[in-house]
Amino acid sequence: MTVVIQRVVDALSVGSTYALLALGLTLVYSVMNLINFAYGMLLVWTALVAVPLIDTGLPAVVVVAICLVFAVGLSIAMGRVAFRPFLTAPPVTLLITSFGVELVLQYGALLFFGENPRILRVPDFLTKVLFIGGLRIPAIELITIATAVVVVLGLYLLLNRTFFGVQIRAAAEQPDVARLMGISPGRVLTVVFAISGLIAGVVGLLWFAKVGAITPRSDLDPTFKAFVSIVLGGLGNTRGAVVGGLVLGALEVSLSAILPLAALGYSDAIVFLIVIWILLLRPRGLIGPSAGL
Amino acid sequence: MALIALRRDRPEGRSGLLVGMLGPVVVAGLVTLLAWLVVQVTGASTSGIVILFGINAVMVVGFQCFVGNTGIVSFGHVAFMGLGAYAAGIVSVPVTMKSIFLPSLPHFLGQTELPTFWTLLIGGSVAAVVAFVMGLAIMRLSGAAASIATLGLLVIVNNVLSQAHAITRGPQSFFGVPRDATFEWVFGSLIAVVVVSAWLKWSALGLRARSVRDDPIAAEASGVRRLPARLWPFVVSAFITGVGGALYAQDLTAFSPDSFFVSQIVGVLVMAIIGGLSSISGALVGAAIISVLAELLRRIEAGFSIGPIEVQSAVGISEAVFGVALILMLRWRPAGVLGALELEVDPRLGRIKKGVP
Repeated sequence: MTVVIQRVVDALSVGSTYALLALGLTLVYSVMNLINFAYGMLLVWTALVAVPLIDTGLPAVVVVAICLVFAVGLSIAMGRVAFRPFLTAPPVTLLITSFGVELVLQYGALLFFGENPRILRVPDFLTKVLFIGGLRIPAIELITIATAVVVVLGLYLLLNRTFFGVQIRAAAEQPDVARLMGISPGRVLTVVFAISGLIAGVVGLLWFAKVGAITPRSDLDPTFKAFVSIVLGGLGNTRGAVVGGLVLGALEVSLSAILPLAALGYSDAIVFLIVIWILLLRPRGLIGPSAGL
Repeated sequence: MALIALRRDRPEGRSGLLVGMLGPVVVAGLVTLLAWLVVQVTGASTSGIVILFGINAVMVVGFQCFVGNTGIVSFGHVAFMGLGAYAAGIVSVPVTMKSIFLPSLPHFLGQTELPTFWTLLIGGSVAAVVAFVMGLAIMRLSGAAASIATLGLLVIVNNVLSQAHAITRGPQSFFGVPRDATFEWVFGSLIAVVVVSAWLKWSALGLRARSVRDDPIAAEASGVRRLPARLWPFVVSAFITGVGGALYAQDLTAFSPDSFFVSQIVGVLVMAIIGGLSSISGALVGAAIISVLAELLRRIEAGFSIGPIEVQSAVGISEAVFGVALILMLRWRPAGVLGALELEVDPRLGRIKKGVP
């Protein structure tokens, strides 16, 4: 029984990381049909900026705050400079553009921080492991789950209880009507990129606190997980992103538990095969686009 | 109507198909001639670059064949390249070497050592079979979901290549492939794959694929089934890319699974975008432009000096330049240099009297 609970906690922790990742990506997709290949670079940049800040000895709260402001700024800049001109472009163009943006951001990171891996020295309380009745729960897993709950709640309130939220949902569901009603697409885009950047910053710190080392090329792993989560849950809606992320996390954790040792190396391939198989049954994702944002 | 023109369509009828195919083949012939002249003029120093250009051109033709006709951006073509490379490598490494560094290879593979033609064919076929099987699933998806599924295909293939130790040596480098990618083989293959790709484009298969791309609902209402319309271009383009991978293997002679991962996407993508995603002639032009640019950037990366000014090496700058090129191109000329235009050479027109349309 404890083994099962342990797995569930692990799956929740991994899944909530993916759900967070997916949320940041799906928001932008919902208003401009952009699958942002450069998303992972937001995480990498945030973590790379955190490394020297931590080394200066600033308190953790200050470092996190600076990093999040930086992530939001970078995301808004990315949206304005690179993606705003493509507001009405077809999704294919946007996808390829974001690939170009990823390359540029990666080169920037290489230029500033070099090719060598940087170690993110996390505060001690993050590396602690709690033992509760036979369960082994690293503190960072708990923090990840808690963060995910807070972010999901906050986002829900923002989208459903604020004026900004109404604007975003309107722009996502009926872009033309929204524009006629005087909702500026540029403003909505800025807000959405800001939220996306904030989430990316949060996950970036959590992700690399867990992984430990960062190189300018470590953006692919998070980007892929986010991509798979949003496709799995259903493109462009927040519930889909959360469900997709949790399902992907559950899949990965249960595969690593079930698979025999010899097949463990193939777990990535098997996860992707299962995902493609699920998409065969539900080509529009588990939740589907009809659910709204 | 002119003897030589840039057109979006092809003349009607069976002979029109042949005429339509002739244009891209002429471009491929010109590119080959140019490459040959470069080697003749500059000697052996550039032959390596020219051969790499030819292999890239094969790969871009393969990429364009799918993306141009279906409108789905594929990140999975690098996987076909890898499959082609490994398949070709396994059947071409000398038997004596295989018994040493791949001792657990299945017996019939361990005893095979095929000439170049067959290695290329096998490289292409393995990629095509995988494309068919995976395409049955992936090609049901549309738009962004399909693109991400092709990315999944890349992850799957990369994972399998780096885990199947008995066949691929896992993440260690695979070596000993004979260096058979000569000028004749590379550019012979290029012309052959251009023929195949042009045939696909101007045949009913290509027309169906493009009809689904432009208006899936209208296409289905006209009786065009979506899955086969996308699947066949996927399979053919995987075959071409597999041949490209096989050539690449026989040029590199040693490679590892990570030689065929996301970083490899950049080059092919940039070449295809610059040239124009909807045109085979454009793919060839794009490959030529980017190959020259890449060579210049490679020299910059290594560091150089202009008179007294020393320019330090700038690692990774070529990727950044490609990234900027991608964005600017998509912003100002999203259709690429040639757009959907294809060179058309119509030898029949010489015989047509004036006044006849």
